[in-house]
Amino acid sequence: MSLGTISISGPFLMDQAIPGVILELQRLIVSVLNAAILFAVAPLLMGVVGRTRARLLGRPGPVFWQPYRDLQKLLRKTPVLPDTATDYYHIWPYAAFAATATAALLVPGFALGMATEKISDLITFIGLLALARAATMLAGLETGFGFGGAGAGRDALFSLFTEAAMLLLVLTFVLVAHQPSIDGIAAEFRDGRIGVSVSLGFALAAILAVALTETGRIPADNPAGHLELGMVHEAMLLEYSGKYLAIFHYTAMLRLALWFTLVGTIFCPFGMGTAADFFSWPLGMILWFAKIFAAAVALPFFEVSTAKMRVFRVPEFLGVALLLGLLSGVFLFVAARLGG
Amino acid sequence: MNHELTLPIGLPGQGMHLGVDPLSCLFLAILAPQILAVAVGEDRESVLFWVFVLGMVLAVVAADAFSLVFGFELMSAASWVLVLRGDRKPATLYAGIAMFSGACLVPALFLPAGGVAFGLILLGAGAKAGLAPLHAWLPRAHPAPPAGISALMSGGMVKVALYVIIRYGFVVMAPDVKPWWGIALIFAGGASVLIGSLRAVLETELKVVLACSTVEHVGLIATGLGIGLLAKGFGDNALAATALQGALLLAVAHGLFKPLLFLGAGAVKHATGTNSLDWLGGLIRGMPHLGGLMILGCAGMAALPLGPGFAPEFLLLHAVFGAAGTGGILGRIGFEALLAVLGLSAAMALVSGLRIVGIGFLGRPRTLRAAAAEEAGWPVLAGMALLAVLCVPVALLPGLLLAAMQPVFAELVPGAAPQPLAYAPFPLALLLAGFAAGAWWFVKIFGARGEREVPAWQGGFGKPPPWLPFGNPMTQATGTGFSEPIARAFGYTILGAKHLDPGEVYVLAPLARLHQVLTRAAERVRRATIRQRLAFVFGALVMFLLALGLAQGG
Repeated sequence: MSLGTISISGPFLMDQAIPGVILELQRLIVSVLNAAILFAVAPLLMGVVGRTRARLLGRPGPVFWQPYRDLQKLLRKTPVLPDTATDYYHIWPYAAFAATATAALLVPGFALGMATEKISDLITFIGLLALARAATMLAGLETGFGFGGAGAGRDALFSLFTEAAMLLLVLTFVLVAHQPSIDGIAAEFRDGRIGVSVSLGFALAAILAVALTETGRIPADNPAGHLELGMVHEAMLLEYSGKYLAIFHYTAMLRLALWFTLVGTIFCPFGMGTAADFFSWPLGMILWFAKIFAAAVALPFFEVSTAKMRVFRVPEFLGVALLLGLLSGVFLFVAARLGG
Repeated sequence: MNHELTLPIGLPGQGMHLGVDPLSCLFLAILAPQILAVAVGEDRESVLFWVFVLGMVLAVVAADAFSLVFGFELMSAASWVLVLRGDRKPATLYAGIAMFSGACLVPALFLPAGGVAFGLILLGAGAKAGLAPLHAWLPRAHPAPPAGISALMSGGMVKVALYVIIRYGFVVMAPDVKPWWGIALIFAGGASVLIGSLRAVLETELKVVLACSTVEHVGLIATGLGIGLLAKGFGDNALAATALQGALLLAVAHGLFKPLLFLGAGAVKHATGTNSLDWLGGLIRGMPHLGGLMILGCAGMAALPLGPGFAPEFLLLHAVFGAAGTGGILGRIGFEALLAVLGLSAAMALVSGLRIVGIGFLGRPRTLRAAAAEEAGWPVLAGMALLAVLCVPVALLPGLLLAAMQPVFAELVPGAAPQPLAYAPFPLALLLAGFAAGAWWFVKIFGARGEREVPAWQGGFGKPPPWLPFGNPMTQATGTGFSEPIARAFGYTILGAKHLDPGEVYVLAPLARLHQVLTRAAERVRRATIRQRLAFVFGALVMFLLALGLAQGG
């Protein structure tokens, strides 16, 4: 809209400006709503995973809302501060949480076209998760105890593979959808402009392996393990307690919900709403819940059917993911050559 | 050139031509802050330091080939003497490399534009910049001199070498560009990225880690330049602009955070007497300001988002995406492999940055000297703070910076219209700060009040006895231990069982063997008896006459 229009016709401007403002407002509302739901549901998802897993193992398991109780219990307790901690001890939990939460804002859950649409580049998303991981690893090295350092070193090893595999997957998405943003990729898939292909199958398998590792699930890591020697993610948090541990636990739950949402949004965006269309939101929301809770039930089935790998076998598992990511791109090139 | 100045010295009858255009302005702007910071921090009284600076500036503002070579060699010679002050052994190696690069550059700049000339420039300037396979000297020579000189060598000197490549590849020889120029740059860059980042994870000396990370960053810049050169040759100006944006923004960012880290490493050495990560630890207690500045620099080196290193990485990755989307199938698969390499090394850069902070500055002290470290002097802190302050706009407002650099891109790729940056760190930083503040507030309201300090659990070791105030140093991970998983999974594959750099094994070691063979031959000639020498002369004479006779008779 040029300046001339503004000075000449006020009413005309109002006609155009008000829908524009309302649209922006709707996008903002979707963003806030999306984040609020994700933040609220994250512990519940972890509860579903935990209970399903317990049931599959033949135990009754805790109630679904047990994670909320755990968080509340941790918040109530007075944190004990290790005497070898530095001044940065308090900073890492907040940094890990804030980076994960910012990454959560970039992933649309129930409606596309959020306020963060333009900056929701997948590389930014990967970077923010890396920032959260860096904060967690520094927390492990913070007090200078053996398990923390070992856990951080192992996490560093896994991160090499996950980051490289993720970048290859982003390349596949960019080649297929011609967009680097999560929003744009999901829109291309939702509107059916992309058919099913072998590449996408490989990409799905690879992203699942990456997601399992990034969220610290079996086979890369065991969130329920109690042997410090085998721990990766938990080992870095052993010197944290009380509210700080609560923040770290909550960040882990958020990360799990975030990965469920990301995989669902990219590979199954059908029925997702649009921010501009208010009436498409409820269906999108129902489908979103269906997706993430289905994932939360499916995850334990996978977990009880495999064993946790030895730390130095995980690179093989992730190497397969890396290879699948590479193949998904190569297949696309071959298909483009045959087709063109 | 826009503004030219002719000095009455130099080649007889021609003088020296100096001039600035947007490209040299950019590189002057990269050099200025680090020179200022090093001058504030240390070394401003040394004449050689200023000769070194003069050489770098002269190479950048040169408007003719003679001035460029003169400045470049002045820079090499001064830095050689400065390296020699630190350590004799790497200085010899460094002199060899400097002579090699001079021997390649001098003929190249006076040859007619074309493949041979660019190949020689690539060899000469690439060796000076630390591009694989001629990079093995860099992790040895850069850490040798005092920290301020290391800072300028890593932050400034390699940039001058890259400037020569840019100047000749994009401006002087622009009409003769061939695709293989870009491909050679990409290969050299990719190899440097992989080896540099891996060695940065495995090395334990702080300054060597930083030098290896310089190899990685030079590789990234070269990769960006290569993609830019290739895309420009194919007429894809938008892609060329993205790649150049990434490369040059990384040059700017690296020129800020790497000198900062080197100055900090020097201060650590001054305070503790060692630079080995295995002997440091917990430095942030004694040196809180230095520690904070180092965390900032490491965030840049690790290419973390909201740090100065992320925006260039973002642009470079998008350039690789763009390059993989066009062209023949082999090229596409090659770019995909390059992407995997960049992904691996981005993660390794993160780990090496973390390792400096986590092992060196956090945790418990591993030696008494690390426990007794005192804060660095104010000049060093002031120099580092200057660089840190300049990092902030690079980190948070890269879009503005790129807009300011637009004349450079217009000069290098005429008619390029760069796309707007899809990474907006400023809003992201606000969101991040908002979430952190929100979490802090929530925990303050709903969480338990107060904290209790207790002896650290230490995996069951519990409270140490009073004569070991920081517990047993053996019970925490060392720098070597921290990177051991990566060494096991990657190091043996890429660097071999002894973790030797391929640049040393396949370039320096054969050269050393050749040197030995030639020395032995020369020694045998020197030790020959008079009879042997007479026999040799007689034999040569017979051969000569025989050849002459055969030639005439036939």
